[in-house]
Amino acid sequence: MYVRPKAATGAAALMLGSLLAVLPSSPAQAHGSMSNPPSRAYVCKTEGPDSPDSAACKAAVAAGGTQAFYDWHEVSLLNAGGRHRQLIPDGKLCSAGRDKYRGLDLARADWPATRVSPGPLTITYHATAPHANSNFEFYITKPGWNPTQPLRWSDLEHIKTFTNQNPTTYTNWTINLPQRSGRALIYSIWQRVVGSEEAFYTCSDVDFGGGGGTPSPDPTPTATPTVTPTATPTATPTVTPTSQPGGTWAPNTAYAVGARVTYGGATYQCRQAHTSLPGWEPPNVPALWQRL
Amino acid sequence: MTGRRSAVRIALALSLAAGAAGVSGCGTSGGRWAQQVMASRAADVGAARGFNAADVMFLQMMVVHNGQGVELARLARGRAVRAEIGLLAGAIAATQRDETASMAGLLREWGQPPTAPPDEHAAHGGMPETDAREIASVADAGPADFERAFLNAMIAHQDDAVQLAAAEVSGGLHPGVKALAGRIEASRRAQIERMLALLED
Repeated sequence: MYVRPKAATGAAALMLGSLLAVLPSSPAQAHGSMSNPPSRAYVCKTEGPDSPDSAACKAAVAAGGTQAFYDWHEVSLLNAGGRHRQLIPDGKLCSAGRDKYRGLDLARADWPATRVSPGPLTITYHATAPHANSNFEFYITKPGWNPTQPLRWSDLEHIKTFTNQNPTTYTNWTINLPQRSGRALIYSIWQRVVGSEEAFYTCSDVDFGGGGGTPSPDPTPTATPTVTPTATPTATPTVTPTSQPGGTWAPNTAYAVGARVTYGGATYQCRQAHTSLPGWEPPNVPALWQRL
Repeated sequence: MTGRRSAVRIALALSLAAGAAGVSGCGTSGGRWAQQVMASRAADVGAARGFNAADVMFLQMMVVHNGQGVELARLARGRAVRAEIGLLAGAIAATQRDETASMAGLLREWGQPPTAPPDEHAAHGGMPETDAREIASVADAGPADFERAFLNAMIAHQDDAVQLAAAEVSGGLHPGVKALAGRIEASRRAQIERMLALLED
């Protein structure tokens, strides 16, 4: 639990002024997720990343590993700045488009869901590092949403936005849930407004009961299409390094020790076998290339 | 919640409760806050020399993050992995050592602390480092599980690096550091793509 000091001394306040003048561009970061109804990340971290109970969390860990759930409070984009819909593609809303969190995007009808009813619902956000000056937006899926299909922005209906919030470790709000039946998903966006462009994203599965409008849980979840990486066809280089002499350096090429390339008018010799990548241009990675 | 972070939070709460001044909404603690002020002032001065607080924070955090990436990459040594994974891990370790050396050198040149105060990582400054626990669990993975555990951990680690680098590209000032961040973002994204493909194979 954090205790926020009520007042700074005059001297400190002056220093604070100069501090704030500099820091807003730094990647300051808060942490948090929805704890009620719990987000997918929160559910799986509570079950335990190393030995989850539910089939959905097991599948999420199998798909993307455990680290995402140790870091359950960081499903965030440091640079969001309100550009959520530009930065996060359809099908990846729950992971914020981040590969680390791709397990959260699994389109399954068996994510543990909180039972809810239409009308007022008290919700809770658990912030391990709460930051003042934040906006919290809440959405719910439209009637007829199918949880076995990738979640798209157009599936969401706005419920409520709370602006200029100063969250505490646990912050409660009351939102008004519309009429739904069966499974639905509550999506939240925590956008910091002052001092950072960082935003956090959560997907909380809920169940209104009745089951109409949504398919019953499918015992054999429809594969895991959303996890399929945006695999680059170019990313299947041959593993057998060829020591081809000369030639211009190119990414996604296997180079053996001793291979020579030209880049930017200079010649380089490979000193450690590797498959080249964008960002690993010879002058930038002296560990891999020696200039001749 | 890891023990390390809990400890950090407790220490932070104690120092704040002790009456130290904190930055509204940033949860920094007294002594470290003062250090941060000093660092920021240095960075203010630095602005005239061509760098800002975001540059400093990025370098400090990437030095630590890269170090843990090297540690993770080294776990693939001597393990039964596909040749491409072994080569990739080796190249990650080698290139990140180089990057770390040049970033640490820049911080020295600027008269800045080599790393941010520990609390800053949890409470103020950006993404987590890959947990020691995660590194240990990859190290302990049996032969049948090692490749998948290694790739998943490295994907998560480099995904965090992408976030740090992207923030520097948009918030930094120093052209050289921003260019480095651009290369870090590009190379990590490319590594992640390749590792995702390797998981599918």
